[in-house]
Amino acid sequence: MPSLLQVTDVSKSYKLKGYWYNRRVFTALEPLSFELKAYKTLAIVGEIGSGKSTLAKLLVGAETPNTGTIKLNGQTLEPKNFKQRCQHIRMIFQDSGTTLNPSLTIHQLLDEPLKLNTELNEAARSQLIRMTLQKVGLLSDHMNFYPHMFSGGQKQRISLARAIILQPQVIILDEALASLDPSLRSQMINLLLDLQQQMGLAFILISHNLGIVRHFSDEMMVLCGGKVVEYGPTHQIMQKPKHKYTQKLLMSQHFQLCRK
Amino acid sequence: MNLLDIRNLSIELVSGNKPILAVDRVSLCMKEGEVRGLVGESGSGKSLLAQAIVGVLDDKWQVDADRFHWRGTDLLRLSLEERKAIISKDVAMIFQEPMACLDPTTTIGEQLEEAVDSRQLSGYFWQKRQQRKAAAIKLLHKVGIKHHEFCIRSYPHQLTEALCQRVMIAIALATRPVLLIADEPTAAMESSNQGQIFRLLASLNQLKNMSILLISHDLENVTHWTNTITVMYSGQFVEAGTTEQIFNHPFHPYTRALVDSSPKANMLLPAKSRLMTLPGSIPILQHLPIGCRLGPRCPRAQQACVQAPKVKNHHGHQVSCHYSLKDTY
Repeated sequence: MPSLLQVTDVSKSYKLKGYWYNRRVFTALEPLSFELKAYKTLAIVGEIGSGKSTLAKLLVGAETPNTGTIKLNGQTLEPKNFKQRCQHIRMIFQDSGTTLNPSLTIHQLLDEPLKLNTELNEAARSQLIRMTLQKVGLLSDHMNFYPHMFSGGQKQRISLARAIILQPQVIILDEALASLDPSLRSQMINLLLDLQQQMGLAFILISHNLGIVRHFSDEMMVLCGGKVVEYGPTHQIMQKPKHKYTQKLLMSQHFQLCRK
Repeated sequence: MNLLDIRNLSIELVSGNKPILAVDRVSLCMKEGEVRGLVGESGSGKSLLAQAIVGVLDDKWQVDADRFHWRGTDLLRLSLEERKAIISKDVAMIFQEPMACLDPTTTIGEQLEEAVDSRQLSGYFWQKRQQRKAAAIKLLHKVGIKHHEFCIRSYPHQLTEALCQRVMIAIALATRPVLLIADEPTAAMESSNQGQIFRLLASLNQLKNMSILLISHDLENVTHWTNTITVMYSGQFVEAGTTEQIFNHPFHPYTRALVDSSPKANMLLPAKSRLMTLPGSIPILQHLPIGCRLGPRCPRAQQACVQAPKVKNHHGHQVSCHYSLKDTY
């Protein structure tokens, strides 16, 4: 199977303020490469400041990389070409409560990406919204509700609906499961796995919770200070972490205790 | 003797025409030197329960209990001043949202020095100021803040959330409490720093015999550190027992679902398999189901569940369910 997303030597650094003799550069991400196939999940693990959110921003196009290219299906994704990118790569954020516009109904919220990116007429758009809502486990009646009428888990489902409505190929989950309660979180994991099977999605999961990473991902990448520390199949890394940093990370979440 | 003994505590929100029962007859019992976990999802009333113990709930909440004993004295019969004196001497609490709970108008150093108990200081009155300062710096070192000069000078808004949380913990430890109520003490921190804080609390528990009530929304985060666990759901008592009992043989369908749904707990679970879940979502406070509040989501619910079940005790493992899973093991 050819790879869906190909990232080669992508890096990002920020210029810090200062005079010419005091100019400093902060390297957020050293050059890194990876490939991702359809139906697969890549997990990115690391502490705050390790560059995992920077990587997500680069992939989704919110930042332009200093070096390197991002290819989707063999086609290079140009920076600033959002029309091409936002159809195929979508993102779900951590806090679903604040990313939904409170003054729009769910219908209007989901209509916006369709209006901007597709040529569908109004009836077809409504039909698509209805189908997408059913796909994520909500009712089509929920279309006329406002975001505040939903609970936290349902809001996260709406952000998922907004992500999949354009039939993307890659979805980036930036800590999307962290703020949910445990019982809703497992519902959400099941839903995401089902959608992956149905639509052939590739996920990029950014998470702290190594339990979820172990369950959810096929490959994982451990970042530390902008560098890739370890990259490989998840089960291999979880069983035999080679780098000291990965070992520390695994130890800190007590992976050994629960195996009673 | 039990440190804290609470039987059938109810907390009502008095507002509008109909009072809302936010916490419905919850029992909690703590021995000296015990680390108890209080686990429940959002809206389960665990923070309310903690605030009721410390007595910081305002007038719109009405607290009732059959028994509310602190080391043998009934707190509900005491006057407000007497109660405050006992609680402030022996109990400390780490609040959620550290940014909101610290005073924004004074520096961290002043707030810490204020919290240091003057009974701990030995010396003449002209030495006390220096001693107080030293005690504050020592507290900051204890919770893992190395650069105390910067921290002491700054106001809460200048620090990150994680640093504020550490300062909160330092303030709570300043009075050397007998019981520490930690309401999600490491919510804003990263997993490696979380371990550091939990290790500090565990060592205080071992060395100073401090009891800890550890409140968390996630079962899997606290199991390593607790001796006993109480589980709550939507303001009702679900199950209580030792960590092993809860984790290996949960009697209540809700606890069973929590344990089964945690991918960290089941290492044998094949990757990418479906997790066991309860259907539906957590009920909101305005529309609570009658009887057992898990009823509409419970896989074992039957007709009897419209009446709230009584708590049954099996060798210290308490469960509140009509159709408990005890016989299935």
